[in-house]
Amino acid sequence: MDILPVFLDASSYILILILVALGLMIVFGMMGVINMAHGELFMIGAYVMVMAQSYGLPFVAGLILAPLVVGFLGLVIEAGLIRHIYLRPLDTILATWGLSIALKQLIVLLFGPESQSVVGPVDGSLVIGDFQYPIYRLILMGASIALIAGTFWIFLKTDFGLMARAVIARPETAAALGIDTRRMYRLSFVIGTALAGLAGALVAPLISVDPQMGLGYLVPGFLSILVGGAGPLAGVLVGGTIVGGVNNLLAVWISPVTALIAVYIIAILIIRLRPEGLLGNRRAK
Amino acid sequence: MRNSIIGIIVFSVLAVCPLFVGSYWTGQLTNYLVYGLLAISLSLVWGYGGILCFGQAMFFGIGGYVMAVFTKGMIYPDLTSSYIGLIAAMAASSLFAVALGYFLFAGRGISGAYLAIITLAIALVLERLMSNWYALGGYNGLLNIPPIKLVLFGLSYELWDIVPTFYIILGLVAVIYFAVTFLVSTPYGLLLTAIRTHPDRLSFLGYSVLNIRLSVFALSAAIAGLAGALFVTLDGFASPTLIGFTLSTEALIWVAIGGKEMLLAAFLGAIFTRVAESWLSEIFGDYWILILGIAFMISVVLLPKGLLATPFEKLIGKKRRAIPPPPAEGDPSPARPLPPTPDQ
Repeated sequence: MDILPVFLDASSYILILILVALGLMIVFGMMGVINMAHGELFMIGAYVMVMAQSYGLPFVAGLILAPLVVGFLGLVIEAGLIRHIYLRPLDTILATWGLSIALKQLIVLLFGPESQSVVGPVDGSLVIGDFQYPIYRLILMGASIALIAGTFWIFLKTDFGLMARAVIARPETAAALGIDTRRMYRLSFVIGTALAGLAGALVAPLISVDPQMGLGYLVPGFLSILVGGAGPLAGVLVGGTIVGGVNNLLAVWISPVTALIAVYIIAILIIRLRPEGLLGNRRAK
Repeated sequence: MRNSIIGIIVFSVLAVCPLFVGSYWTGQLTNYLVYGLLAISLSLVWGYGGILCFGQAMFFGIGGYVMAVFTKGMIYPDLTSSYIGLIAAMAASSLFAVALGYFLFAGRGISGAYLAIITLAIALVLERLMSNWYALGGYNGLLNIPPIKLVLFGLSYELWDIVPTFYIILGLVAVIYFAVTFLVSTPYGLLLTAIRTHPDRLSFLGYSVLNIRLSVFALSAAIAGLAGALFVTLDGFASPTLIGFTLSTEALIWVAIGGKEMLLAAFLGAIFTRVAESWLSEIFGDYWILILGIAFMISVVLLPKGLLATPFEKLIGKKRRAIPPPPAEGDPSPARPLPPTPDQ
């Protein structure tokens, strides 16, 4: 078996997983909100792409529309739901779980339970000698890396990011210094959901787009965050690489079932032995 | 005491139901009673023990599979007694809970949101495992599980008929409901309140937080296992869906809608949601799940104590003004039994 395509496939899965987890992490790290509907927002991103293509819009238009639509949905969710339960973190799990059920069913009602297909913007394969690889997967990886880097840049280098990290570290102090924490929460929630939507639209040509697809990314996404550590943003890179890499490589080498079981058990063990995550410091929590 | 009066009323109403509804609905109600038992187990561990378990169905499923394996004679062909099956189901579920609980709670234990995600992941793993465990039927599950066979003083009776089955199950559920209600009114219930609100203070007072958590986790698992064991005898069928994610989250919805801090409300939450589901899904079709999701959301946001528990508490609470209700989760005020201390 050729080893390079396997690693490339694993990398593209890892990058998408990191994108999904990054959105979750921004919301979880900043607001302590566990957004169980994140997988469904990812799914809606993919469905926006389906819609865009059915209206004959180009792929790029779908890529622009998806984060806008999902980000707007995030704004509505924040204003209508999350805002009321900030102070009850455990209830956010339940409420967003209800939201996820409702969103999933809404998509079933609108599009039916069957899976949809999305046509990629480019069809060909990159051929170098014996080596062949679909170009779209390479584009996807490049785009994901750019997006991940962009998100890191926003949170680590801009004024907004500085304020956001201040709100994460010391919400009261940040508020006392004149940062509008409410607004920061809302903005971060919108950024997190928009990322999920964009990730969904990007990956849509490669997977079957169906109403159940969210869960398959939600749980690995959460495990990635917890494995890497919910404190530093870089934790998600480590966590996503471990969870996504182990899952994808074992799925190819042994079987998808073994891979899933193995990766969950490994993740649970890591989380149990190091609750602060691999990169988190012990002081946290 | 008013609480138990309401309980008696509820169970009496349930007991006369078969007189008024047809045999189809009696059969359905029997199923719902078993779901109600699962809801009671989740309410005990979550509402009273403060352990948010996103995978309560794993205990239900383990109970179901153990019961199936025993009564089908897959372990030892001569040993197909329903009693042994039920006991083994409860034992297996609670042993699994002790092992899992020890893993999760010992030392720097996992709690809160992390626990929810990890139990969710474990339920997914188990579901996947059972779907691929071909000796136990794999994806198709185990078929032809015999009904419960009651043996008493040399007489034996198989629960094939709908109405006797209903009453046996109702009796069993009522016994367990009143037993658990009694249990949480004893000092043990007080310990659970303390462990839910202030585990640290409880350990300062010399209690082993781990042991109390394990005990409530195991007890709740045993009840869930019993529910699972009863369930497979009703349908004659055990499948991986019993152990997994969907049933776990459904149970969570029932308990949250009913009211997690009140056993009766959780129990009725399961029954009402299921009854509503069979009625409304005919009227609303596919919109029903949408409505359920939204109702769940609204009840979590607006009525965190539960849709049914809120009016119940009004009913009970009138005469109990003197004793303040136990504080809600995350409420910084100290639990009732503890003397007021300056906050840390």
